[in-house]
Amino acid sequence: MQVEMLYPRRDTVGLEDLRSAMAGGEANRPFDDDVVEACIELSQRLLREPSARRYPELLALGFWMRKAELYRLRQQFDLMRRGDCLLVPCGTVFHLPPRNVDTIFVYSWLLSALSGNCNLIRLSRERSGPTLELLRFFCEVLENAPPSARESTWIVSYGHEKEPTEMLSSLCDMRVIWGGDHTVSTIRQVPLPPHAREMVFADRFSLSAIEAAAYLDLDPSRRGSLAKQFFDDAFWFDQMACSSPRLLIWCGDLADARAASADFFPRVNNYAMSHKVIEPAHLMHRFLASSLAVLDRSVIAYRRFPALTVLTVANLAAFSRNHPGGNLFFECQLDGLSDLASALCRRDQTLTWFGFAPEDLKNLAAVLNGRAIDRIVPIGQALQFGRFWDGNDLLQSFCRQVFIGGPDALLPV
Amino acid sequence: MTVAMTVDDLLREPPYSLSQSEKERVLLSELTELTGHHRQRSSEYARLIDVIFPHSGAPSKLAELPYLPVGLFKERLLSSVPPEEVFKVLQSSGTTGQTPSRITLDRDTALLQTRALSRIMTSVLGPDRLPMLLVESPDVIRDRKEFNARGAGLLGMMNFGRQHCYALDSNLHLRLPEVRQFLKSHGKGDFLIFGFTFLVWSAFLQQIHSLGLDLSKGILIHSGGWKKLQDQAVTTDEFRSAFRKFTGLTRIYNFYGMVEQVGSIFLEGDDGYFYPPSFADIIIRDPLTFEELPTGQPGVVEVLSVLPRSYPGHCLLTEDLGIVHAIDPPGSTRLGKAFSILGRIPRAELRGCSDVIAEQVN
Repeated sequence: MQVEMLYPRRDTVGLEDLRSAMAGGEANRPFDDDVVEACIELSQRLLREPSARRYPELLALGFWMRKAELYRLRQQFDLMRRGDCLLVPCGTVFHLPPRNVDTIFVYSWLLSALSGNCNLIRLSRERSGPTLELLRFFCEVLENAPPSARESTWIVSYGHEKEPTEMLSSLCDMRVIWGGDHTVSTIRQVPLPPHAREMVFADRFSLSAIEAAAYLDLDPSRRGSLAKQFFDDAFWFDQMACSSPRLLIWCGDLADARAASADFFPRVNNYAMSHKVIEPAHLMHRFLASSLAVLDRSVIAYRRFPALTVLTVANLAAFSRNHPGGNLFFECQLDGLSDLASALCRRDQTLTWFGFAPEDLKNLAAVLNGRAIDRIVPIGQALQFGRFWDGNDLLQSFCRQVFIGGPDALLPV
Repeated sequence: MTVAMTVDDLLREPPYSLSQSEKERVLLSELTELTGHHRQRSSEYARLIDVIFPHSGAPSKLAELPYLPVGLFKERLLSSVPPEEVFKVLQSSGTTGQTPSRITLDRDTALLQTRALSRIMTSVLGPDRLPMLLVESPDVIRDRKEFNARGAGLLGMMNFGRQHCYALDSNLHLRLPEVRQFLKSHGKGDFLIFGFTFLVWSAFLQQIHSLGLDLSKGILIHSGGWKKLQDQAVTTDEFRSAFRKFTGLTRIYNFYGMVEQVGSIFLEGDDGYFYPPSFADIIIRDPLTFEELPTGQPGVVEVLSVLPRSYPGHCLLTEDLGIVHAIDPPGSTRLGKAFSILGRIPRAELRGCSDVIAEQVN
């Protein structure tokens, strides 16, 4: 069978050709200068080129991987080094990014490439405008980079056939599956070499919490900027990114919660109306989805705005994490953050917040003790990707630690 | 006209004889009663209305009546009758790959639908059954496993004809000898032609246009599948003028309707606009605010009908776009809202990191 090769050359290749093409790849040292330079070049082109600047997600990626940030990552990497260990790359990492978040493949590639790995990326046959644009810059930058950066990445594209996934999996030391539960369980059936590791990103649910009294203390302009930040978190991917909030918890007494909610959502709607094209099809989808939610859940109030719908639930008992996206927000009032812990579950990923003391948030994480929540960030940062994601430290995960014991290590403790 | 008109009275009136203001008065009281009827008999409906339309107790105009999204009938079987009174469950054919709608009918509602359709059809066909040419293959109703809204629609319409002749075979090829025989026997007097719009255009007209058949005494009733024609960029005017030119057929009536409100169809008038019959109406709503829009502004179509008593489908927000051109237009033979359908609301994909790959595998 044939697959489409997109990098290092555009071609249609058989699986055996692909295997031999990859045979020459050698891992680099972590933070190899040429690899870092190539990343900087890509960042600058994404920030500079008009055809990339058209897409806010490419601009965000360019900003996230800007020079200063890469140097900061290198510093963080150096802090991971220990006297008795050598940090080395895993080897070859096979990335399976999702089709509908265009930039993930570069985020995934970047942390792995900086760690020194060879990278094998499978892209979907259907590629959106921003993906094509990003792919073009990505290939141009790598083609013109020195050999260590140029010759350690392969990008292929194929449909849902099993054979290429089997072949590529057999060549890798680590497999990274981005996507939903279904993708993860489908691809997990394809075996890995016994030594290889796997990192998966399953379906997640994310929520926000606001201290109602703290919100009510804000002046109108601060309320407006919080609404804008909440908009950024939720609307960028129509609430379909795993870290986009779908449930908003108002902490405080009922009167404060009601007053805060009555002020907040109209602000979010107004901001959305002036910053986003509202698709009538999405409204119809949302009207149907909220009707179904009313039938299935303990919804006690319904508020429909052009850009969003708010469904108030009486409590979070057995609250289903299934969510259709499309800017449908559930909200619930709780007396305090400590009441939230019992309602959270493994699927809950990001908690975005406003108005709490850092101590309260740390306490919440401690009470949860790994049972739920992998990220706690202020409202406005839900979509900011980082090395810590879904409970993993990606920089660490893309490496191996080679333990080098000195004579002292042999002594009994 | 008394205020206390019943559904029976509405079905006895000629279907386009009520002025919009008279109709709204009658429908408001009927549909308010119907909302209460469903609220009492369907706990799901009661829950939806109580949460989504909490202040809709005493509506002062049709636009204030609570409505449901039409897609709900694809997701849930909503019923206002006890299971033992369910006469049949209608199922829509749906677009390929989509979940069908399911509509619960009891005998009374099924009967109302038949009477309603008859009132509308006899207004253009006259009181007698006419010889009928079906732009279909006999297989559509022969294969009961494939029996769907298309078959049901066909059977419903066959009641208005006699000496039925199928114009197409199972490969959608013209059965020319049968059609010629039909025209020889019946082509000198009024006869009925019925079919789905796309078949009438792409299978029927394309195969007969060079044959010189005389359909001038025909009355063509067609519906559904405009989307495929719009993809081919065929307009209503082209459709009509092609039939006139090649066959002499001039009496052509398209209708707009859906399985969620069977019987309550919107038949084209001579002016080429759809009109609601006396027992139904439409409201055009703003796609963003859902507020009622004035005449002349395009928006989302809500359909209202007094027929659905066995399921809460009397006020439904569709996924179609439409526009009201005039109300009680002077010079028209019909009263009420003259409207046209502009097509479906364009689809728009949601993005995000959900399961796209695996969904396609399965």
